[in-house]
Amino acid sequence: MALYRYVLRRLMLTIPLLIGVTLIAFVISHAVPADPVTANLGQKAMSDPVIVAAFRAEWGLDRPVHEQYLIYLRNLLRGDLGRSIKSRRPVMDDLRAYLPATIELATASILVGVLTGVTFGVLSAVRRNSVLDHIVRMLSLFGVSVPVFWLALVVLFVFYSRLRWFPGPGRLDVGLPAPPQITGLLTIDALLAQDWTALRNAIGHLLLPAFVLGSYVTGLITRVTRSAMLEVLNQDYIRTARAKGLHDRVVLTRHALRNALIPVITVIGFSYGNLLAGTVLTENIFAWPGIGQYAYRASTSLDFPAIMGVSLLIALIFIVTNLVADLLYFILDPRLRSS
Amino acid sequence: MKHRSTLSTLSLLAILVVLVVGCAVPATPQAPTTPAAEAAPVETPTEAPKQAESKLVMAIAEDTVSLDPGRAFETLPSIIHKATYDTLVTFPADSVDRIEPLLAESWTISEDGTVYTFTLRDGPKFANGDPVTAEDVVFSFNRMKHITGNPSFLAETIASVEAPDEKTVVLRLKHPDPAILAKLVFSAFAVLNKDEVVAHGGTDAEDAATADKAEEWLNSHSAGSGPYMLEKWERGVETVLVRNPNYWGKAPAIDRIIIRNIPEAATQKIQLEAGDIDIAMDLTADQVPALKNNPAVTVFEGLSDTIVFLIMNQDPAIGGPLSDPRVQMAVRLALDYEGIRVLSSGRAVTPASVIPVGFFAAYGPEKALKRDLDRAKGLLAEAGYPDGIDVELEYPDFTFGGVNFGTMAQKVQADLAEAGIRVTLKPAELQVALENYRQGREAFGLWLWLPDYRDSLDYVEFLPGGVVGKRANWTDENADQVILTLRDQVKVETNDQRRAELFAQIQDYLQQKGPFAPFLQPGIQVGLSSAVRGFVYNPQWRVDLALLSK
Repeated sequence: MALYRYVLRRLMLTIPLLIGVTLIAFVISHAVPADPVTANLGQKAMSDPVIVAAFRAEWGLDRPVHEQYLIYLRNLLRGDLGRSIKSRRPVMDDLRAYLPATIELATASILVGVLTGVTFGVLSAVRRNSVLDHIVRMLSLFGVSVPVFWLALVVLFVFYSRLRWFPGPGRLDVGLPAPPQITGLLTIDALLAQDWTALRNAIGHLLLPAFVLGSYVTGLITRVTRSAMLEVLNQDYIRTARAKGLHDRVVLTRHALRNALIPVITVIGFSYGNLLAGTVLTENIFAWPGIGQYAYRASTSLDFPAIMGVSLLIALIFIVTNLVADLLYFILDPRLRSS
Repeated sequence: MKHRSTLSTLSLLAILVVLVVGCAVPATPQAPTTPAAEAAPVETPTEAPKQAESKLVMAIAEDTVSLDPGRAFETLPSIIHKATYDTLVTFPADSVDRIEPLLAESWTISEDGTVYTFTLRDGPKFANGDPVTAEDVVFSFNRMKHITGNPSFLAETIASVEAPDEKTVVLRLKHPDPAILAKLVFSAFAVLNKDEVVAHGGTDAEDAATADKAEEWLNSHSAGSGPYMLEKWERGVETVLVRNPNYWGKAPAIDRIIIRNIPEAATQKIQLEAGDIDIAMDLTADQVPALKNNPAVTVFEGLSDTIVFLIMNQDPAIGGPLSDPRVQMAVRLALDYEGIRVLSSGRAVTPASVIPVGFFAAYGPEKALKRDLDRAKGLLAEAGYPDGIDVELEYPDFTFGGVNFGTMAQKVQADLAEAGIRVTLKPAELQVALENYRQGREAFGLWLWLPDYRDSLDYVEFLPGGVVGKRANWTDENADQVILTLRDQVKVETNDQRRAELFAQIQDYLQQKGPFAPFLQPGIQVGLSSAVRGFVYNPQWRVDLALLSK
């Protein structure tokens, strides 16, 4: 029961948090000493007072800022995120169009990151100071420190252009028909449509960018898993378990890993939000039509409704991933449940 | 309790496993696949082509905001509109210094230069089979004007458009506009099928700004008479054009053109080398040498119509010493033009004035100013600054067409320092810098200008009272009579020979006086697969897709 109340309280907290986010995003984006008129109208168009007035009226920029904010909030309560100045479409439609690509990429990246990170971390901890440990530690250092755009270009050049092991940029091969859109996640849609060609193709296209984007997460999780495992492996209950004569693998997975996973979950929680929010460079280089590219275009053209929409979305994702991470503690750590 | 938690952990792991396995399953050959897909998934899709449809893939950094010709003002739409619509008149394939017929087979201009009467060609049909009539022209022009979108200013000199009969269009101007024909080439003046557009919510009424609802439909369909039709535009992903079966002219060679959004020049280059794309539109000059040895790739190198320049404020309160004509000349003489050109690489040239090389009556690079440090120092001393001056140079921190403004600013700083002009660099984010520049608050700025339409007349904007002139606070009050007279004459002169003379005088004037120091016209580079034939570059529409074959 405590759990439900906890979740409910967290969800209630989401509302003031999101309103806070709108306020901050609104104030910051409007405080920039630049004008959406300059950003969105051509040189000649913006020197024509009729066109400028029409533009300001169309986007509500002719009203005082506080009034603009209140109008925004009122519309938001009705579930209306407004219209993007740049795309001239409802922001909701834009987010719906661009978010799935990013979710797919970020999810694939986190999977790559967690699977390799946890494996490497455990191996590294168990074989402490072995050659393997040194290699893994070097790789994880590489993963957290290498610039993403550099890695993306190198990986594309080597594995796509030269070796031809992976397909190139984009989500599907040029000319390959996409599966009918249901979720917007091409892998899932292809699976639902049982379109195996599209599925293979989509996964092929996902691997390189997921590896690049996931490299940081892999590095991070490897390091966190390794240190958490080392700490746990020194605990008395592990020695006890071993002394009981339990099989090594059982000791490692049931006793050690499970407890070591708690800090790892924290890392996964905030990494996922970061991945979703921080895909701009990877999306650009891999021509991935996701939210990162959309956010970049929105901010460089002072597209206020789009900036607000993206900010809200990212805040919401952070809130949800954190909540999920916290709930996972409950599952993994019985002490939290009893308290 | 213990068991339940183990269970939940297990189920969590199971979800992970399912996800992973779900991803891995299709990679095993048990899934029914076509023989083509059996091959490594890396291969370019050889998936059963419908007969032998010819296909061309172009990579470009998509900047499309709208595919409505009445609203679009960006690069990619101009390429798409050239392929999907026709205009009354056009330019030759590779230049912008002459007007040629297209939908109009001929036209006459009244004595006073204010009435243009066009006779439409017999034969042109829209993609749906409807004939192109004068009514469609009138509708399209009025709609574009009344939408009050980005390109609407192009119609500002137009008083009215009429269709006295099916084949005649009469364009009345408020006053003579020597550039009107060049403006009509712009895709904003594309001729749309009135019936189709009206059927999808379009209107050319005065309140079209709010009443016109055709944009969404025009974003996914074309309603023109060009060689191609718009099949789809998937925002940020790709635009697909297919051949227009009813095209009235010579049928294009390629059946289907896929334009992919590839934002990064580096990615475009990698894809071109891998053979997955046929055209890479956004290569930068520094990428070219590495491609020269690749037999599968050719590089088209041409000249852009962008002018990079320094702007100095004429208002002494803002510009300080830079408002002095002698200091302005010293700046022009202190720049190392040759060094800047080499730094920019490619086919870049030093323009002789703000009018780009290749435009009507524009001077060639051979007439450009040469560096003369001694004269520059002399002028500074004459102006009362024997020990030099200290100035701040504002510029946007961005890269345009391969020109990095940071690098350019540093070069300017180093060059001017040699003449005693000590420059402090003041970069800003584009939108922030733009605001200062457009409000005329910059003492000294580094900017670029792209023409609104391809006629030298666009460059009167640099003269007193023009869009750029005002940013330097160059006004009718503080300018001398010579340039004001030249400006007023060139604005209404319609005789080509007299226009050329006036533009020559304006260019001579700007080399010696005025608040601008134009110093670079960058090159453009387009990467092509060696199989592609027929690539021609035109500053107005970049590439005419209908001329391509492979």
